[in-house]
Amino acid sequence: MDKILLMGQANVGKSALFNRLTGARVIESNYPGTTVDYEKGRMLVDGEYVELVDVPGTFSLEPKDGAEEVAVRMLEEEKRATVICVLDASKIERGLYLVLEILERGYPVVVALNMWDVARDSKVKIDAKRLEQILGVPVVPTVAVQGEGIKQLVSRISEAAPVKVAGVIKRTGGEKWNSLLTRDGT
Amino acid sequence: MRKISTAGSVFVSVFGIIVLVFGIMEFVVLGRYGVEGVCWGPLEMSGMWLWWTGIILVGAGIMYMSSANNFESNIHQLAKSVVASIMIWIMAGMAIFDKVAGSIPGEEVWVNPPADFLAGCGPPFTPAIFLLPVSLVIIYFIRQRHRASPNTSSEHLVEE
Amino acid sequence: MELTIDQRWDLVDRITKETVEVGAYKHTLKDAIADITVRPKTGIPFAIAVIYGFWMFFSTFAGFFTDGFLVKVFGDHYIPWLGSVFPGKGTWLFNIFAGNPAVFQPGYAGDICFEAGGVLTTGLFMPIAVVLPAIIAFYLVMAFLEDIGYLPRLAVLIDTVLHKIGLHGYAIVPTILSLGCNVPGVAATRALETRKQRFMMMVLLGVFVPCGAQIGMMQELIPEKIGFVFIALIIGYFVVGYILNKIWPGQSPEMLIDVPPYRMPTRGNVWRKTWMRTTSFLRVAVPFMLLGCVIVQLLYLTGGMAHLGHALSPVISGGFGLPQETVAPLVAGFLRKDLAVGLLGGIQLTGWQMFSSVVLLSVYFPCLATFVLMIKEQNAKEFGATLGVLAVTVFAYGGILRLIGMGLGVA
Repeated sequence: MDKILLMGQANVGKSALFNRLTGARVIESNYPGTTVDYEKGRMLVDGEYVELVDVPGTFSLEPKDGAEEVAVRMLEEEKRATVICVLDASKIERGLYLVLEILERGYPVVVALNMWDVARDSKVKIDAKRLEQILGVPVVPTVAVQGEGIKQLVSRISEAAPVKVAGVIKRTGGEKWNSLLTRDGT
Repeated sequence: MRKISTAGSVFVSVFGIIVLVFGIMEFVVLGRYGVEGVCWGPLEMSGMWLWWTGIILVGAGIMYMSSANNFESNIHQLAKSVVASIMIWIMAGMAIFDKVAGSIPGEEVWVNPPADFLAGCGPPFTPAIFLLPVSLVIIYFIRQRHRASPNTSSEHLVEE
Repeated sequence: MELTIDQRWDLVDRITKETVEVGAYKHTLKDAIADITVRPKTGIPFAIAVIYGFWMFFSTFAGFFTDGFLVKVFGDHYIPWLGSVFPGKGTWLFNIFAGNPAVFQPGYAGDICFEAGGVLTTGLFMPIAVVLPAIIAFYLVMAFLEDIGYLPRLAVLIDTVLHKIGLHGYAIVPTILSLGCNVPGVAATRALETRKQRFMMMVLLGVFVPCGAQIGMMQELIPEKIGFVFIALIIGYFVVGYILNKIWPGQSPEMLIDVPPYRMPTRGNVWRKTWMRTTSFLRVAVPFMLLGCVIVQLLYLTGGMAHLGHALSPVISGGFGLPQETVAPLVAGFLRKDLAVGLLGGIQLTGWQMFSSVVLLSVYFPCLATFVLMIKEQNAKEFGATLGVLAVTVFAYGGILRLIGMGLGVA
């Protein structure tokens, strides 16, 4: 494994997760855009040290501001990296968009459904198993600030492998797949 | 529409008026005596922050009063009172912190002996300290609401 | 395989439909409080209370350590002791390390902490006794407000006002960070969207936002005037922001920020953050502060300061109505603003002169660390414009303050 990139939208707890994973000390704050430059640290995956990079928050891979540009550039430079994609479990839509973009580019991905506690509090139930089936990559619920789910997340990093988006489409339901594909053809 | 007849509504209306009066009093004092202020028995109003705390007290008073209508049934009304209480807690908390921190170091000695320390923490106090105990009653109403609707058990109070 | 944006959203939709179930959502007290604290009618009084609490905590905490203990430690014990044991009174070495020999005479009436001026006396007194408690206090409250989630709400509240100068509520975040230290504040402008916004923000931060160290120093020296210093700076922040927005080319589009839910801060994170920021601040600040003391002392000893004072006296005395001695703080101000304000404490000034010197020191140049970062972040044109704004602001402030002083009959 070459490198692990920690990616996700702003304010979903990337820095908190980074601190948990590396034991490092990066500033975590409860507002978007705290990390404007990337941070590097080392973490232990299956007994081996791997470099972990805390990438600034990005909404998508079409950059809109300086911090997002940094994020996209980092991803493009690290062709062999594995990506831990951090999602806000209370609103996964936007995060999923980024996950799909990263999958399309062929990176192996692990999804951390962070802020699981917030989601639970606001009565959002996510079927993590089903999500894992659909995406074809490991999906782990976490609460980074409290340290919940971190161990499981690390243990599943090695399972990350590139998946075909076509497969994801197929697994969301066969009959609608056709409509998507035809639109793809236009 | 419920009428203003429940205990909570009465409490916030009366307390709101008291808070508001204190706030207006601070401006009156500032207007008449300037930053020198006054010291009436255990009550002290002085300093350059008087107009600032005056604004906060007036704001909190109005917020309490405006939350009287449907106080028990509408969570937004209760929340308004909670926020007003938090404003008073901030002021009182800082006043207490100031008293305590100001009474620890001595003039001639490093740390004041207990007797001097206690004397330093004694009156006169700012209005917020007098309002603090009464404002804590709001916790009772939060609890009461909690009991009334147990399915909102995940609801946390966040501020200090 | 690459999807189009629509296809991707379509897919996201379908995935969430299969995996997410949104329960009957009930408005909780927490939500209601969150709502009330962003609505202007109730949010503004609450924000005033929060700012009050912020300032009170800051000044009480810093005053407790600085005036309660550290001023005594330095003024009554450490500095006189060092003056008595440091060898070679009357040599340059003594002047640089211990300071002006006059202050060590028995029965010296002035404020020995500020007036000694040596690297090991005033040079250590300022960062340890005055700045450190202030910075810790500032970062403690800020970490708390950040983690609880209040800052973005303040941003939403203040959005309308900042719109008038072409910035958005989010600009409050770099501004508040800058109140701790300008360096992370300027770095945080990267989260802004356009070059124009970033440039404007950097100028406003570098010129008008005093850092925590400087605020701590002002609080120690002129607590009764600090409110007016802030008013003078806030006016400049908006006036210059307004003008820049009108004349500088570029867009400042709407910025959308997510307001996160309120959450209870974890004690560990608050402490860790305070600790990290304080130590990184000290690493930037202390070397510059000591270096500043050396340079100022050397300039005094070689007579360079007198020359400089003389050369600049048409501006300083003629223009701003300040004594020539204020040239020393001006020199130090290139390195550190807190050092510069501290040096004012060693000069005989009238109340008005003190006030205008502090305001001028605040606006005339960002400290060296901020300056270097601005060079890195800006292109040549923007940098030139920054210097232009600096120059214009200093002269405008110097002139206006003098006129006001004359009008009041104090200058």
